[in-house]
Amino acid sequence: MDVDVIRTDFPILQRKVHGKPLIYLDNAATTQRPRQVLETLAHFYMTYNANIHRSPHRLGEEATELYEQAHEKVAQFIDAEDEGEIVFVRNTTEAINLVAVSLLRPESGDLRLRPGDEVVVTILEHHSNFVPWQALCQEHGLALRVAGLREDGTLDMDDLARLIGPRTRLVCCTHISNVLGTIVAVPEVARLAHAAGALLLVDGAQSVPHMPVRVQELGCDFLAFSGHKMLGPFGVGVLYGRRALLEQMAPFLYGGDMIAEVTTERSTWNCLPWKYEAGTANVADAIALAGAVDLRTGWELTGAVDYLEAIGMEAIRAHECALLSRLLAGLRAIPEVRLYGPPAAAERGAVVSFAVEGADPFLLAQLLDDEGIAVRAGGHCAHPLARHLHVPGTVRASPYLYNTPEEIDHFLEATEQVIRRRIL
Amino acid sequence: MSPRYSPAVLDHFTNPRHVGTLEDADAVGKGGGGPLCPEDMAYVWIRVRDGRIVDIAHKTMGCPIAISSSSMTCTLAVGKELGEALAITSAVVIAALGGVPERRADSVVAPEALRKAIAAYRER
Repeated sequence: MDVDVIRTDFPILQRKVHGKPLIYLDNAATTQRPRQVLETLAHFYMTYNANIHRSPHRLGEEATELYEQAHEKVAQFIDAEDEGEIVFVRNTTEAINLVAVSLLRPESGDLRLRPGDEVVVTILEHHSNFVPWQALCQEHGLALRVAGLREDGTLDMDDLARLIGPRTRLVCCTHISNVLGTIVAVPEVARLAHAAGALLLVDGAQSVPHMPVRVQELGCDFLAFSGHKMLGPFGVGVLYGRRALLEQMAPFLYGGDMIAEVTTERSTWNCLPWKYEAGTANVADAIALAGAVDLRTGWELTGAVDYLEAIGMEAIRAHECALLSRLLAGLRAIPEVRLYGPPAAAERGAVVSFAVEGADPFLLAQLLDDEGIAVRAGGHCAHPLARHLHVPGTVRASPYLYNTPEEIDHFLEATEQVIRRRIL
Repeated sequence: MSPRYSPAVLDHFTNPRHVGTLEDADAVGKGGGGPLCPEDMAYVWIRVRDGRIVDIAHKTMGCPIAISSSSMTCTLAVGKELGEALAITSAVVIAALGGVPERRADSVVAPEALRKAIAAYRER
Protein backbone atom coordinates (compact mmCIF):
# COMPACT_ATOMS: atom_id res chain seq x y z
CA MET A 1 0.00 0.00 0.00
CA ASP A 2 1.20 3.49 -0.86
CA VAL A 3 0.54 5.85 2.02
CA ASP A 4 1.42 8.93 -0.03
CA VAL A 5 -1.32 8.05 -2.51
CA ILE A 6 -3.78 7.23 0.28
CA ARG A 7 -3.13 10.62 1.89
CA THR A 8 -4.21 12.45 -1.25
CA ASP A 9 -7.69 10.97 -0.70
CA PHE A 10 -8.00 12.77 2.64
CA PRO A 11 -8.24 16.53 2.08
CA ILE A 12 -8.24 17.26 5.82
CA LEU A 13 -4.70 15.90 6.14
CA GLN A 14 -3.49 18.94 4.18
CA ARG A 15 -4.83 21.23 6.90
CA LYS A 16 -2.66 23.27 9.20
CA VAL A 17 -3.38 23.53 12.91
CA HIS A 18 -1.83 26.44 14.85
CA GLY A 19 0.27 27.03 11.75
CA LYS A 20 1.71 23.49 11.80
CA PRO A 21 0.84 20.59 9.49
CA LEU A 22 -1.88 18.47 11.09
CA ILE A 23 -0.71 15.12 12.48
CA TYR A 24 -3.90 13.26 13.23
CA LEU A 25 -3.33 10.53 15.83
CA ASP A 26 -6.80 10.39 17.39
CA ASN A 27 -8.21 7.65 15.17
CA ALA A 28 -9.51 5.57 18.05
CA ALA A 29 -11.94 8.46 18.71
CA THR A 30 -12.93 8.99 15.10
CA THR A 31 -11.17 8.66 11.76
CA GLN A 32 -11.03 11.03 8.81
CA ARG A 33 -13.08 10.34 5.66
CA PRO A 34 -11.70 9.90 2.17
CA ARG A 35 -12.97 12.00 -0.70
CA GLN A 36 -14.61 8.89 -2.24
CA VAL A 37 -16.88 8.38 0.78
CA LEU A 38 -17.82 12.06 0.89
CA GLU A 39 -18.58 11.94 -2.84
CA THR A 40 -20.85 8.94 -2.33
CA LEU A 41 -22.79 10.87 0.30
CA ALA A 42 -23.20 13.84 -2.01
CA HIS A 43 -23.96 11.64 -5.01
CA PHE A 44 -26.65 9.73 -3.15
CA TYR A 45 -28.42 12.89 -2.04
CA MET A 46 -28.09 14.52 -5.46
CA THR A 47 -29.16 11.51 -7.52
CA TYR A 48 -31.05 8.81 -5.62
CA ASN A 49 -32.49 10.41 -2.52
CA ALA A 50 -35.86 8.95 -1.50
CA ASN A 51 -37.32 7.02 1.39
CA ILE A 52 -36.88 3.26 1.20
CA HIS A 53 -39.24 0.26 1.42
CA ARG A 54 -42.33 2.43 1.02
CA SER A 55 -42.16 4.75 -1.97
CA PRO A 56 -43.63 3.23 -5.16
CA HIS A 57 -41.53 5.30 -7.53
CA ARG A 58 -38.24 4.99 -9.34
CA LEU A 59 -36.16 6.92 -6.79
CA GLY A 60 -37.61 4.92 -3.92
CA GLU A 61 -36.82 1.71 -5.75
CA GLU A 62 -33.23 2.75 -6.45
CA ALA A 63 -32.59 3.96 -2.91
CA THR A 64 -34.01 0.71 -1.53
CA GLU A 65 -31.80 -1.36 -3.80
CA LEU A 66 -28.67 0.58 -2.81
CA TYR A 67 -29.52 0.37 0.89
CA GLU A 68 -30.09 -3.39 0.71
CA GLN A 69 -26.80 -3.81 -1.14
CA ALA A 70 -25.11 -1.96 1.73
CA HIS A 71 -26.26 -4.73 4.09
CA GLU A 72 -24.88 -7.39 1.72
CA LYS A 73 -21.55 -5.59 1.47
CA VAL A 74 -21.11 -5.45 5.24
CA ALA A 75 -22.18 -9.10 5.56
CA GLN A 76 -19.40 -10.09 3.14
CA PHE A 77 -16.89 -7.80 4.86
CA ILE A 78 -17.23 -9.54 8.24
CA ASP A 79 -18.10 -12.98 6.82
CA ALA A 80 -21.69 -13.09 8.08
CA GLU A 81 -24.02 -15.76 6.63
CA ASP A 82 -26.22 -13.23 4.85
CA GLU A 83 -27.49 -9.65 4.88
CA GLY A 84 -30.29 -10.52 7.33
CA GLU A 85 -27.67 -10.69 10.05
CA ILE A 86 -26.60 -7.06 9.49
CA VAL A 87 -28.58 -4.38 11.30
CA PHE A 88 -27.70 -0.73 10.75
CA VAL A 89 -27.83 1.31 13.94
CA ARG A 90 -26.39 4.67 15.01
CA ASN A 91 -23.13 3.39 16.47
CA THR A 92 -21.55 0.68 18.63
CA THR A 93 -23.32 2.01 21.71
CA GLU A 94 -26.73 1.69 20.10
CA ALA A 95 -25.91 -1.80 18.80
CA ILE A 96 -25.09 -2.97 22.32
CA ASN A 97 -28.14 -1.27 23.81
CA LEU A 98 -30.28 -2.96 21.14
CA VAL A 99 -29.18 -6.37 22.40
CA ALA A 100 -29.66 -5.36 26.04
CA VAL A 101 -33.18 -4.00 25.48
CA SER A 102 -34.24 -6.91 23.28
CA LEU A 103 -33.01 -9.58 25.68
CA LEU A 104 -35.09 -8.07 28.49
CA ARG A 105 -38.36 -8.25 26.57
CA PRO A 106 -40.63 -11.21 27.36
CA GLU A 107 -40.97 -11.90 23.65
CA SER A 108 -37.32 -13.02 23.54
CA GLY A 109 -38.58 -16.26 25.15
CA ASP A 110 -35.88 -18.52 26.52
CA LEU A 111 -33.21 -16.00 25.47
CA ARG A 112 -34.75 -13.51 27.89
CA LEU A 113 -32.54 -12.32 30.74
CA ARG A 114 -34.14 -12.89 34.13
CA PRO A 115 -33.43 -12.03 37.78
CA GLY A 116 -30.67 -14.26 39.11
CA ASP A 117 -28.98 -14.60 35.72
CA GLU A 118 -25.41 -13.43 35.33
CA VAL A 119 -23.67 -11.23 32.78
CA VAL A 120 -19.87 -11.38 32.51
CA VAL A 121 -17.90 -8.39 31.20
CA THR A 122 -14.21 -7.47 31.39
CA ILE A 123 -12.44 -4.56 33.06
CA LEU A 124 -11.21 -3.57 29.58
CA GLU A 125 -14.64 -2.44 28.43
CA HIS A 126 -15.45 0.98 27.05
CA HIS A 127 -18.45 2.50 28.86
CA SER A 128 -20.58 1.49 25.87
CA ASN A 129 -20.10 -2.20 26.70
CA PHE A 130 -20.12 -1.74 30.47
CA VAL A 131 -22.75 0.77 31.54
CA PRO A 132 -25.67 -0.87 29.63
CA TRP A 133 -24.96 -4.18 31.39
CA GLN A 134 -24.37 -2.56 34.76
CA ALA A 135 -27.69 -0.68 34.49
CA LEU A 136 -29.54 -3.75 33.20
CA CYS A 137 -28.21 -5.92 36.04
CA GLN A 138 -29.06 -3.33 38.69
CA GLU A 139 -32.57 -2.69 37.35
CA HIS A 140 -33.52 -6.30 36.76
CA GLY A 141 -31.78 -8.20 39.54
CA LEU A 142 -29.00 -9.85 37.55
CA ALA A 143 -25.41 -10.18 38.74
CA LEU A 144 -22.60 -8.45 36.84
CA ARG A 145 -19.19 -10.16 36.95
CA VAL A 146 -16.07 -8.30 35.83
CA ALA A 147 -13.03 -10.25 34.62
CA GLY A 148 -9.65 -8.71 35.41
CA LEU A 149 -6.26 -8.34 33.76
CA ARG A 150 -2.91 -10.02 33.97
CA GLU A 151 0.15 -7.98 34.94
CA ASP A 152 1.04 -7.39 31.25
CA GLY A 153 -2.32 -5.78 30.41
CA THR A 154 -3.81 -8.84 28.72
CA LEU A 155 -7.16 -10.28 29.76
CA ASP A 156 -6.89 -12.81 32.59
CA MET A 157 -8.44 -15.83 30.89
CA ASP A 158 -8.28 -17.88 34.10
CA ASP A 159 -10.29 -15.22 35.91
CA LEU A 160 -12.74 -15.13 33.01
CA ALA A 161 -13.08 -18.94 33.04
CA ARG A 162 -13.74 -18.79 36.80
CA LEU A 163 -16.45 -16.15 36.42
CA ILE A 164 -18.33 -17.91 33.64
CA GLY A 165 -20.66 -20.39 35.32
CA PRO A 166 -23.98 -22.18 34.93
CA ARG A 167 -25.94 -18.95 35.57
CA THR A 168 -24.00 -16.96 32.98
CA ARG A 169 -26.31 -16.03 30.12
CA LEU A 170 -24.18 -13.51 28.32
CA VAL A 171 -20.47 -12.69 28.02
CA CYS A 172 -19.62 -9.21 26.70
CA CYS A 173 -16.07 -8.37 25.79
CA THR A 174 -14.16 -5.97 23.64
CA HIS A 175 -12.06 -7.29 20.76
CA ILE A 176 -9.44 -4.56 21.19
CA SER A 177 -9.21 -2.30 24.24
CA ASN A 178 -9.58 1.37 23.32
CA VAL A 179 -7.15 2.25 26.12
CA LEU A 180 -4.51 -0.50 26.34
CA GLY A 181 -4.75 -1.78 22.78
CA THR A 182 -4.98 -5.31 24.18
CA ILE A 183 -6.26 -7.81 21.63
CA VAL A 184 -8.61 -10.23 23.36
CA ALA A 185 -8.48 -13.88 22.26
CA VAL A 186 -12.13 -13.86 21.23
CA PRO A 187 -12.27 -17.46 19.88
CA GLU A 188 -11.14 -18.67 23.30
CA VAL A 189 -13.72 -16.48 25.06
CA ALA A 190 -16.34 -17.87 22.66
CA ARG A 191 -15.42 -21.44 23.62
CA LEU A 192 -15.71 -20.63 27.34
CA ALA A 193 -19.02 -18.80 26.89
CA HIS A 194 -20.60 -21.43 24.66
CA ALA A 195 -19.42 -24.31 26.86
CA ALA A 196 -21.44 -22.68 29.66
CA GLY A 197 -24.44 -22.16 27.39
CA ALA A 198 -23.93 -18.38 27.32
CA LEU A 199 -24.00 -16.00 24.36
CA LEU A 200 -21.03 -13.84 23.39
CA LEU A 201 -21.26 -10.19 22.37
CA VAL A 202 -18.08 -8.60 21.03
CA ASP A 203 -17.37 -4.85 20.85
CA GLY A 204 -15.49 -4.56 17.57
CA ALA A 205 -15.28 -0.75 17.48
CA GLN A 206 -11.47 -0.79 17.62
CA SER A 207 -10.86 -4.01 15.67
CA VAL A 208 -13.12 -4.04 12.60
CA PRO A 209 -11.55 -0.83 11.21
CA HIS A 210 -7.98 -2.07 11.66
CA MET A 211 -7.66 -5.77 10.92
CA PRO A 212 -9.45 -8.65 9.19
CA VAL A 213 -12.44 -9.55 11.38
CA ARG A 214 -14.52 -12.58 10.44
CA VAL A 215 -17.41 -13.46 12.70
CA GLN A 216 -17.22 -17.15 11.80
CA GLU A 217 -13.61 -17.28 13.00
CA LEU A 218 -14.34 -15.28 16.14
CA GLY A 219 -17.28 -17.52 16.99
CA CYS A 220 -19.22 -14.59 18.47
CA ASP A 221 -23.00 -14.34 18.56
CA PHE A 222 -23.09 -10.55 18.26
CA LEU A 223 -20.57 -8.06 16.93
CA ALA A 224 -20.99 -4.29 17.28
CA PHE A 225 -18.99 -1.59 15.49
CA SER A 226 -19.16 2.03 14.34
CA GLY A 227 -18.87 3.48 10.84
CA HIS A 228 -17.10 6.66 11.87
CA LYS A 229 -14.10 4.77 13.24
CA MET A 230 -13.55 3.11 9.84
CA LEU A 231 -13.59 6.05 7.41
CA GLY A 232 -17.40 6.09 7.24
CA PRO A 233 -19.85 8.82 8.21
CA PHE A 234 -20.92 9.69 11.74
CA GLY A 235 -24.29 8.30 12.75
CA VAL A 236 -24.16 4.81 11.29
CA GLY A 237 -22.97 1.63 12.97
CA VAL A 238 -23.57 -2.08 12.68
CA LEU A 239 -24.94 -4.85 14.81
CA TYR A 240 -24.17 -8.32 13.53
CA GLY A 241 -26.26 -11.04 15.14
CA ARG A 242 -26.54 -14.74 14.37
CA ARG A 243 -29.70 -15.31 12.33
CA ALA A 244 -31.25 -17.83 14.71
CA LEU A 245 -30.89 -15.39 17.59
CA LEU A 246 -32.18 -12.36 15.73
CA GLU A 247 -35.17 -14.44 14.57
CA GLN A 248 -36.05 -15.34 18.14
CA MET A 249 -35.25 -12.07 19.88
CA ALA A 250 -37.80 -9.31 20.46
CA PRO A 251 -37.53 -6.07 18.47
CA PHE A 252 -35.56 -3.11 19.81
CA LEU A 253 -37.56 -0.07 18.68
CA TYR A 254 -41.16 -0.27 17.48
CA GLY A 255 -42.58 1.72 14.58
CA GLY A 256 -42.66 1.91 10.82
CA ASP A 257 -40.95 -0.60 8.50
CA MET A 258 -40.17 -3.09 11.27
CA ILE A 259 -43.65 -4.65 11.08
CA ALA A 260 -45.23 -7.28 8.86
CA GLU A 261 -48.85 -6.64 9.83
CA VAL A 262 -50.53 -4.30 12.27
CA THR A 263 -54.08 -4.48 13.58
CA THR A 264 -55.58 -2.62 16.51
CA GLU A 265 -55.07 -5.79 18.55
CA ARG A 266 -51.54 -6.90 17.67
CA SER A 267 -48.59 -6.59 15.34
CA THR A 268 -46.20 -9.02 13.72
CA TRP A 269 -42.65 -8.29 12.72
CA ASN A 270 -40.88 -7.85 9.42
CA CYS A 271 -38.20 -10.31 8.28
CA LEU A 272 -34.52 -9.79 9.10
CA PRO A 273 -32.86 -7.37 9.30
CA TRP A 274 -35.78 -4.92 8.98
CA LYS A 275 -37.38 -6.15 12.19
CA TYR A 276 -34.60 -4.26 14.00
CA GLU A 277 -34.61 -1.12 11.85
CA ALA A 278 -37.67 0.81 12.95
CA GLY A 279 -38.46 4.17 11.40
CA THR A 280 -36.83 5.86 8.43
CA ALA A 281 -33.33 4.47 8.03
CA ASN A 282 -30.09 6.43 7.81
CA VAL A 283 -29.91 5.47 4.14
CA ALA A 284 -27.18 7.76 2.84
CA ASP A 285 -24.76 7.16 5.69
CA ALA A 286 -25.20 3.38 5.46
CA ILE A 287 -24.47 3.47 1.71
CA ALA A 288 -21.44 5.70 2.31
CA LEU A 289 -20.22 3.26 4.96
CA ALA A 290 -20.67 0.10 2.93
CA GLY A 291 -20.79 1.10 -0.72
CA ALA A 292 -23.19 -0.02 -3.46
CA VAL A 293 -23.52 -0.13 -7.23
CA ASP A 294 -26.31 1.39 -9.30
CA LEU A 295 -27.11 -1.72 -11.32
CA ARG A 296 -28.85 0.23 -14.10
CA THR A 297 -26.01 2.60 -14.88
CA GLY A 298 -23.13 0.67 -13.38
CA TRP A 299 -22.27 3.72 -11.31
CA GLU A 300 -20.22 2.73 -8.25
CA LEU A 301 -20.93 4.48 -5.01
CA THR A 302 -17.70 3.83 -3.11
CA GLY A 303 -18.20 3.14 0.57
CA ALA A 304 -15.69 3.09 3.38
CA VAL A 305 -15.78 -0.72 3.28
CA ASP A 306 -14.90 -0.65 -0.45
CA TYR A 307 -12.07 1.74 0.28
CA LEU A 308 -10.64 -0.45 3.06
CA GLU A 309 -11.05 -3.65 1.05
CA ALA A 310 -9.29 -2.16 -1.98
CA ILE A 311 -6.23 -1.57 0.21
CA GLY A 312 -6.72 -4.83 2.09
CA MET A 313 -7.25 -5.30 5.80
CA GLU A 314 -4.07 -7.44 6.07
CA ALA A 315 -2.02 -4.63 4.53
CA ILE A 316 -3.61 -2.06 6.84
CA ARG A 317 -2.85 -4.20 9.87
CA ALA A 318 0.78 -4.68 8.75
CA HIS A 319 1.20 -0.93 8.18
CA GLU A 320 -0.21 -0.17 11.62
CA CYS A 321 2.00 -2.79 13.30
CA ALA A 322 5.07 -1.08 11.83
CA LEU A 323 3.87 2.32 13.10
CA LEU A 324 3.05 0.80 16.49
CA SER A 325 6.51 -0.74 16.90
CA ARG A 326 8.07 2.63 16.11
CA LEU A 327 5.73 4.40 18.51
CA LEU A 328 6.32 1.93 21.35
CA ALA A 329 10.10 1.91 20.92
CA GLY A 330 10.23 5.72 20.76
CA LEU A 331 8.11 6.21 23.87
CA ARG A 332 10.13 3.60 25.76
CA ALA A 333 13.25 5.67 25.06
CA ILE A 334 11.79 8.64 27.00
CA PRO A 335 12.53 7.92 30.68
CA GLU A 336 9.59 9.94 32.10
CA VAL A 337 7.04 8.03 30.01
CA ARG A 338 5.05 5.20 31.52
CA LEU A 339 3.47 2.96 28.88
CA TYR A 340 0.34 0.90 29.42
CA GLY A 341 -0.77 -2.30 27.73
CA PRO A 342 0.94 -5.34 26.26
CA PRO A 343 4.59 -4.74 25.30
CA ALA A 344 4.61 -6.24 21.78
CA ALA A 345 3.02 -4.51 18.78
CA ALA A 346 1.76 -7.88 17.52
CA GLU A 347 -0.35 -8.29 20.68
CA ARG A 348 -2.11 -4.97 20.39
CA GLY A 349 -4.30 -2.82 18.22
CA ALA A 350 -3.39 0.61 16.95
CA VAL A 351 -3.74 2.30 20.32
CA VAL A 352 -0.97 3.50 22.63
CA SER A 353 -1.76 5.06 26.01
CA PHE A 354 0.90 6.57 28.22
CA ALA A 355 1.38 8.85 31.16
CA VAL A 356 4.25 11.17 32.02
CA GLU A 357 5.49 11.15 35.59
CA GLY A 358 3.92 14.05 37.48
CA ALA A 359 2.34 15.59 34.38
CA ASP A 360 -1.27 16.35 33.56
CA PRO A 361 -2.36 14.35 30.49
CA PHE A 362 -4.79 17.05 29.33
CA LEU A 363 -2.06 19.68 29.36
CA LEU A 364 0.35 17.35 27.58
CA ALA A 365 -2.27 16.79 24.86
CA GLN A 366 -2.88 20.53 24.62
CA LEU A 367 0.85 21.28 24.25
CA LEU A 368 1.03 18.64 21.51
CA ASP A 369 -1.97 20.28 19.84
CA ASP A 370 0.01 23.52 19.78
CA GLU A 371 2.43 21.54 17.55
CA GLY A 372 -0.41 20.44 15.27
CA ILE A 373 -0.61 16.95 16.78
CA ALA A 374 -4.08 15.60 17.61
CA VAL A 375 -4.17 13.04 20.44
CA ARG A 376 -6.71 12.21 23.11
CA ALA A 377 -6.33 12.67 26.87
CA GLY A 378 -8.31 11.45 29.83
CA GLY A 379 -10.04 8.28 30.92
CA HIS A 380 -11.12 7.40 27.36
CA CYS A 381 -14.67 6.44 28.37
CA ALA A 382 -13.29 3.49 30.33
CA HIS A 383 -13.25 4.76 33.91
CA PRO A 384 -13.37 1.32 35.58
CA LEU A 385 -10.13 0.49 33.75
CA ALA A 386 -8.53 3.83 34.73
CA ARG A 387 -9.32 3.08 38.37
CA HIS A 388 -8.01 -0.46 38.00
CA LEU A 389 -4.70 0.90 36.65
CA HIS A 390 -4.61 3.65 39.33
CA VAL A 391 -4.29 6.42 36.75
CA PRO A 392 -6.70 9.35 36.56
CA GLY A 393 -5.88 9.76 32.89
CA THR A 394 -3.49 9.01 30.06
CA VAL A 395 -2.55 10.43 26.69
CA ARG A 396 -3.57 8.20 23.80
CA ALA A 397 -2.06 8.13 20.33
CA SER A 398 -3.91 5.98 17.81
CA PRO A 399 -2.57 5.77 14.23
CA TYR A 400 -4.40 4.58 11.13
CA LEU A 401 -3.69 3.71 7.51
CA TYR A 402 -2.87 7.29 6.47
CA ASN A 403 -0.26 7.96 9.16
CA THR A 404 3.41 7.84 8.21
CA PRO A 405 6.59 6.83 10.07
CA GLU A 406 7.70 10.48 9.75
CA GLU A 407 4.58 11.59 11.60
CA ILE A 408 5.30 9.11 14.37
CA ASP A 409 8.86 10.44 14.64
CA HIS A 410 7.56 14.00 14.75
CA PHE A 411 5.10 13.06 17.47
CA LEU A 412 7.89 11.43 19.50
CA GLU A 413 10.16 14.48 19.13
CA ALA A 414 7.37 16.85 20.11
CA THR A 415 6.46 14.71 23.13
CA GLU A 416 10.05 14.68 24.32
CA GLN A 417 10.40 18.44 23.79
CA VAL A 418 7.22 19.16 25.73
CA ILE A 419 8.50 17.02 28.60
CA ARG A 420 11.93 18.76 28.49
CA ARG A 421 10.32 22.20 28.67
CA ARG A 422 9.23 21.16 32.16
CA ILE A 423 6.12 23.32 32.22
CA LEU A 424 3.94 20.31 32.80
CA MET B 1 -17.01 24.34 26.50
CA SER B 2 -13.71 23.68 24.76
CA PRO B 3 -11.70 20.76 26.09
CA ARG B 4 -8.61 22.99 25.98
CA TYR B 5 -7.32 24.90 28.98
CA SER B 6 -8.02 28.63 28.72
CA PRO B 7 -5.13 31.14 28.58
CA ALA B 8 -5.95 32.21 32.17
CA VAL B 9 -5.78 28.59 33.39
CA LEU B 10 -2.39 28.15 31.73
CA ASP B 11 -1.16 31.49 33.09
CA HIS B 12 -2.20 30.75 36.69
CA PHE B 13 -0.96 27.16 36.41
CA THR B 14 2.52 28.01 35.11
CA ASN B 15 2.84 31.09 37.33
CA PRO B 16 0.59 30.55 40.34
CA ARG B 17 0.03 33.50 42.69
CA HIS B 18 -0.05 33.45 46.51
CA VAL B 19 1.68 30.07 46.81
CA GLY B 20 2.96 29.05 50.24
CA THR B 21 1.81 29.38 53.83
CA LEU B 22 1.33 32.42 56.08
CA GLU B 23 3.49 32.49 59.22
CA ASP B 24 1.03 34.76 61.01
CA ALA B 25 -2.19 33.31 59.62
CA ASP B 26 -5.39 33.76 61.60
CA ALA B 27 -7.05 30.68 60.13
CA VAL B 28 -6.60 27.86 57.64
CA GLY B 29 -9.09 25.71 55.72
CA LYS B 30 -8.86 22.60 53.58
CA GLY B 31 -10.75 21.87 50.37
CA GLY B 32 -11.01 18.85 48.09
CA GLY B 33 -9.40 15.49 48.67
CA GLY B 34 -12.88 13.99 48.78
CA PRO B 35 -14.33 11.10 46.82
CA LEU B 36 -15.34 13.32 43.87
CA CYS B 37 -11.78 14.26 43.03
CA PRO B 38 -9.33 12.58 45.41
CA GLU B 39 -6.31 13.81 43.45
CA ASP B 40 -7.02 17.49 44.06
CA MET B 41 -6.57 19.16 47.47
CA ALA B 42 -5.85 22.70 48.69
CA TYR B 43 -5.09 24.47 51.96
CA VAL B 44 -5.84 28.19 52.16
CA TRP B 45 -4.41 30.44 54.89
CA ILE B 46 -5.85 33.89 55.64
CA ARG B 47 -4.79 36.86 57.70
CA VAL B 48 -7.67 39.13 58.68
CA ARG B 49 -7.64 42.76 59.90
CA ASP B 50 -10.85 44.71 60.59
CA GLY B 51 -12.98 42.04 58.94
CA ARG B 52 -10.96 42.14 55.73
CA ILE B 53 -8.58 39.53 54.22
CA VAL B 54 -5.26 41.40 54.17
CA ASP B 55 -3.11 38.42 53.21
CA ILE B 56 -3.77 35.00 51.75
CA ALA B 57 -1.77 31.96 50.65
CA HIS B 58 -2.47 28.48 49.35
CA LYS B 59 -0.78 25.16 48.91
CA THR B 60 -2.43 23.01 46.29
CA MET B 61 -1.84 19.51 45.10
CA GLY B 62 -3.46 18.43 41.83
CA CYS B 63 -4.05 19.06 38.17
CA PRO B 64 -3.73 22.38 36.31
CA ILE B 65 -7.33 23.27 37.12
CA ALA B 66 -6.74 22.76 40.84
CA ILE B 67 -3.54 24.84 40.83
CA SER B 68 -4.85 27.66 38.63
CA SER B 69 -8.19 27.90 40.44
CA SER B 70 -6.46 28.15 43.81
CA SER B 71 -4.29 30.91 42.43
CA MET B 72 -7.37 32.69 41.08
CA THR B 73 -9.33 32.19 44.32
CA CYS B 74 -6.59 33.90 46.31
CA THR B 75 -6.24 36.66 43.70
CA LEU B 76 -9.96 37.37 43.96
CA ALA B 77 -10.09 37.09 47.76
CA VAL B 78 -7.20 39.31 48.85
CA GLY B 79 -8.44 42.72 50.08
CA LYS B 80 -12.06 41.54 50.30
CA GLU B 81 -14.29 41.67 53.38
CA LEU B 82 -15.09 38.23 54.77
CA GLY B 83 -18.70 38.40 53.56
CA GLU B 84 -17.57 39.31 50.05
CA ALA B 85 -14.96 36.55 50.10
CA LEU B 86 -17.65 33.99 50.92
CA ALA B 87 -19.27 34.88 47.61
CA ILE B 88 -16.21 33.56 45.75
CA THR B 89 -17.75 30.26 44.75
CA SER B 90 -16.42 27.65 42.40
CA ALA B 91 -18.60 29.13 39.64
CA VAL B 92 -17.13 32.61 40.22
CA VAL B 93 -13.57 31.27 40.02
CA ILE B 94 -14.32 29.25 36.89
CA ALA B 95 -15.82 32.31 35.22
CA ALA B 96 -12.76 34.38 36.16
CA LEU B 97 -10.56 31.71 34.55
CA GLY B 98 -12.53 31.91 31.32
CA GLY B 99 -14.07 28.49 31.91
CA VAL B 100 -12.65 25.03 32.50
CA PRO B 101 -13.06 21.93 30.32
CA GLU B 102 -16.31 20.07 30.71
CA ARG B 103 -16.90 17.83 33.74
CA ARG B 104 -13.76 19.04 35.48
CA ALA B 105 -15.25 21.60 37.87
CA ASP B 106 -14.64 19.16 40.75
CA SER B 107 -10.97 20.08 40.57
CA VAL B 108 -11.76 23.62 41.77
CA VAL B 109 -11.11 23.06 45.49
CA ALA B 110 -9.80 26.38 46.89
CA PRO B 111 -13.22 28.08 47.32
CA GLU B 112 -14.15 25.32 49.77
CA ALA B 113 -10.82 25.80 51.58
CA LEU B 114 -11.39 29.56 51.74
CA ARG B 115 -14.93 29.09 53.04
CA LYS B 116 -13.66 26.77 55.78
CA ALA B 117 -10.85 29.17 56.68
CA ILE B 118 -13.39 32.00 57.07
CA ALA B 119 -15.65 29.75 59.16
CA ALA B 120 -12.68 28.76 61.35
CA TYR B 121 -11.75 32.45 61.77
CA ARG B 122 -15.28 33.34 62.84
CA GLU B 123 -15.40 30.49 65.32
CA ARG B 124 -12.17 31.49 67.07
